Amino acid sequence: MLRLVALRLAAFVPTLLATSVILFVAVNVVPGSAAKAALGIDATPQAIARFEHDQGLDRPLHVQYLDWLGKALRGDFGTSFQNHLPVGPELLTRLPVTLELAILAFIVANVIAVPLGAAAARSHRHRTDQVVTLVATVMGAVPNFWLATLLILTFALKLGLFPAGGFVSMAESPLRNLSLMIMPALSLGIVSSALLLRIMRAGMIEVLASDYIRTAVAKGAPAPRVVWHHALRNALIPFLTVGAVEFGWLFGGVVIIEDIFLLPGIGQLVLVGIINRDYPVLLASTLTVTVAVLTANMLVDVLAGILDPREVFVRPRT
Amino acid sequence: MRQSARAAQQRVVGQLVDAFRQGEMSRRAFLRRCGALGVSLASAQSLIGADTRTPAAAAGAPRRGGILKAAFSADPAGFDPVRGPSGMSHVVIEQVYSTLMALDPDAKPYPELAQSYTITDDGLTYTFNLRKGVKFHHGDELTAEDVKFSFDRLRAPKSGYSYGAQVETIKSVDAVDRYTVRFRLSKVTGPFLIYMAFPGSSIVPKKLVDGGHDLNAKPIGTGPFKFVSYEPRSAIKFQRNPEYFETGKPYFDAMEYRIISDITALTNALLSGVVNFSNEIPPKDFAKVKGSAGLTAVTLEGSRYNWLLLNNTKKPFDNPKVRQAVSFALDRQALVDGAFFGLATPILGGVIPQWNWGYADIKFVSPKGDPAKSKALLAEAGYPNGITGVDIGMTLPSSFPNIMAMGPIVQANLAKAGIQAKLGTMEIPRYWDEVWSTSNFGITMMYWLSPLADPDDFVTNNYHCGMAINVQKYCSKEMDALLEQAKSAPTVEARKDLYRKMQDLSMQDMPIVPLVNGWLLIGHTSKLQNYRPMRTGFLKTLKDAWLEA
Repeated sequence: MLRLVALRLAAFVPTLLATSVILFVAVNVVPGSAAKAALGIDATPQAIARFEHDQGLDRPLHVQYLDWLGKALRGDFGTSFQNHLPVGPELLTRLPVTLELAILAFIVANVIAVPLGAAAARSHRHRTDQVVTLVATVMGAVPNFWLATLLILTFALKLGLFPAGGFVSMAESPLRNLSLMIMPALSLGIVSSALLLRIMRAGMIEVLASDYIRTAVAKGAPAPRVVWHHALRNALIPFLTVGAVEFGWLFGGVVIIEDIFLLPGIGQLVLVGIINRDYPVLLASTLTVTVAVLTANMLVDVLAGILDPREVFVRPRT
Repeated sequence: MRQSARAAQQRVVGQLVDAFRQGEMSRRAFLRRCGALGVSLASAQSLIGADTRTPAAAAGAPRRGGILKAAFSADPAGFDPVRGPSGMSHVVIEQVYSTLMALDPDAKPYPELAQSYTITDDGLTYTFNLRKGVKFHHGDELTAEDVKFSFDRLRAPKSGYSYGAQVETIKSVDAVDRYTVRFRLSKVTGPFLIYMAFPGSSIVPKKLVDGGHDLNAKPIGTGPFKFVSYEPRSAIKFQRNPEYFETGKPYFDAMEYRIISDITALTNALLSGVVNFSNEIPPKDFAKVKGSAGLTAVTLEGSRYNWLLLNNTKKPFDNPKVRQAVSFALDRQALVDGAFFGLATPILGGVIPQWNWGYADIKFVSPKGDPAKSKALLAEAGYPNGITGVDIGMTLPSSFPNIMAMGPIVQANLAKAGIQAKLGTMEIPRYWDEVWSTSNFGITMMYWLSPLADPDDFVTNNYHCGMAINVQKYCSKEMDALLEQAKSAPTVEARKDLYRKMQDLSMQDMPIVPLVNGWLLIGHTSKLQNYRPMRTGFLKTLKDAWLEA
C-alpha cells in the first residue's frame, strides 16, 4: 500500500511539470496579445511596448517559462495583467468555492447514479432498466450550461425558490450557502451522473452474474441484501475509477457553470484568464485544476487498493 | 471685449445655477443675484426651471439606510486615478475620490471640491477656491497642496497616465494659499472644466501618497463612499463616508458593485433581486426588466455611438464617394429595430448627439437609407455594376452582441446597393491583435461611450490623424485644423460653429460611417428614489439617491 502511494506521488511531479510546459506553450500560441487585450480599444504602440516590457513579455519564451516556474515553485504566481494584484492569494480564496461545488456535484451524481444503476442492473432487460437507460442517455446528452439556464428560469425567476446566483461562504451562513450551491451542483451533477450510472449498471450486471452472488442467492439471502451488501462493493471498483475521472471533469466543468451562477471560484478565473489573455491568471488557475484532477486520481487508486487488495499491483495506471 | 464680458456674465450665471442645483442657494437668493447681473427675472426663472430633473421633483423625503447592489460586467483595472485606464475603474474612483468640478446629469460641469472659480479673459488661467474643511477618508484636510500634487503626478513625464492629452496643456499648478489653487495653461483648452470633472483628475492625499501608500490597493479620497474591499472578478464594497462634505449625503449605508461578466447572468441577477441596480442591461433583456414587478427601467441617450470603419487606405474605400455610398446604403432604422430593439437613435449626420451643445442639425442620410443614391455614387466612383468580386472582409468582434446583431443587416443593406462583403467574426483579444490594431480589414464596426461628453471627445479620437482609434487611417489637414481650432476656440459659440464645420466635412469625406447611438439602459429597484442617470454613463449622482423602506 505504501509503495502504491509512493509510486503515485513519484508520477505526480513529472506529470505536473509536463502539464505546465504544455499549458505555457498553449497559452502563448493562442492568437491574441495580452497587451492589446489589457489596454483595449485605444492602445497606442508605445503603450503596448511599455506593457510588454513591464510584464517581461518581450523576452524569449523559454526564459519566460523558467522565470515563471522558479517563482511558482516559491509560491509566487505573478500578478494579474488586468488588475495588477497577485494571483496566488486569489487562488487560495477561490479554491474552497470550486472544491465545494465539485464535491456537491459529485454527491448529486452519485446519489443519482448508484441506486438507479443498481436498480437497472437488477431488472436487466426489463422495463425499469429500459427507462433508466433512456433517462441516462438524455441526461448525458444535455449540456450543463443549458440545464443551468433552465434551472435558473424555473426555480429562480419563475418560482423564486432559490437565488439566481451569488456566493455566501459556508462559515457565514450554511443555509444560504446551500441554497446558492444547489442549482449549480444539480446542473453539473445531473449531467455527470449519466456516465456514472451506465458504469454502475454495467459493473453491477457483471457482478450479479458472478458465482459468489449465485451462491449467496442459493443460500437463501434476501435479494436486497445480495444487491446492496454483496454485489455493490465489487461493482464499485470500476465505478470509482471512472468516478475519479468524472470528478476531474467536474472540476473542469465548473468553468462555465461558475460564471453562470456568479460563483467566485477557480473556473471563473480560467474563463476571465482566457478572455483577457491574462497569462498569469490563466496558468495558475488551469494548473490548480490539473493538481485537483491528479490528486483525485491518486486518492482513487489508493481507495481502490483498500476496496480490493488485488488491485494494488495488477493495475498500474498513469 | 464685449464678447468676453458677456462670456464672463454667462460663466457667473452658470455658477449660480450650479449652486442652486446643489442646494447651496435658495430660489430667492438665486433670482436676486441674477438680477444684480442684469439678467431679466423671466430668463433667470427659465434657467432653473429648465432643469426638469432637479432633486426637488422626486417624491418623499430622503431616507438613510440600505445597501445599493449594482451589477457590472467588467473588472476594474486599478483604483489609483493615475493608473485606472478603464471605465470600470472610473465608476469606483468617482465614488471614493472627488474632483474640482463635477458633471451634472446632462454633463454640464459644476464646482465640486471647488467652491467657486474664476477664469481670466484670455482663458489661460483658472483659479479655484476650495471648499474648507473637506476631509480625506483617513482624516486629513484637503488643501491646495493636495490639488497641486495630484495634477503634478498626472503630468509627470513617466506617469503612464492614459489620459495624458487632458493635462498636456497645463503649464503649471500653484497652491496660492491653503484654499486657492491656480492653473496656468499653455493654450486655451475648451474642455478644461470638463477635464477637471473627469475621474482621472481626482484629488489624492499628498502626504499619504508621499509616504508610500498604494492607492491601487486601498484608494483614499474625499468622496461620498469609503472603499472597503475588492475581490477580483467578484465584488467591490464601499461604506458611507459620514464626513462627506455634502452634509447628510450619501444616503445608502453601503454599496456593493458585483462583477458579473456574463450579460445574461447580469440581467438574471437583477430580475431575481441578487442586485438592485444595473446600467448595463442588454437591449434584448430590457423589456423583461421593464415588465418586472418591483423594478424600474430607465432609458437615456448618452454618447454610446456605433460606427462603421472603412479602410481609407485600401481600394475601394480609399474613394470618399464609395464611403458615402456605403452610408447611403444603410437602413439605420432597421439597425435600431433589429439589433437594439428600438432602444437607439439613428445617426443621420455627425456623431455629436442632439442633447449636446456641439450637435449640428445635419440630415445627410435618411433613417431608411437610399439605395438608389448609393448606386449612383458608386457609378460616379467608377463602379456602375456595384462592387463584386473584390475581397471585402467585414470582420467583427464576437464579444460585442450589438455589433454582431448589426453585422448581417449591414451586409444585406450593402448587398442591395451592390457591395458584396464577406462577414467574419473573431473573439476580442484576437480581434484587437489581428484586425483592429493592424487595420487589417475592409469594413469593421466598433462602439464606445464617451466619458467626457465634450464635443472634442466625441470627434477628435475618430477623425484626427494618428489617433489610436483612427484605425481606418483617415488623415486630412483640413479636418485636423478644424478639430484643433474647435478645441481651443475662446467661446462656446465659436466652438459650436467649428464643430458644425467639422461635422459637415466628416459627411463629405465620410472616413467612418456613423450608425446609431445606443441608449443607456438602466434597471433598478423601484425603491430607489431620486436617482438621476447621467449621460456619461457615470454614477456620481448615486450620492443623491436613497432607498425607500
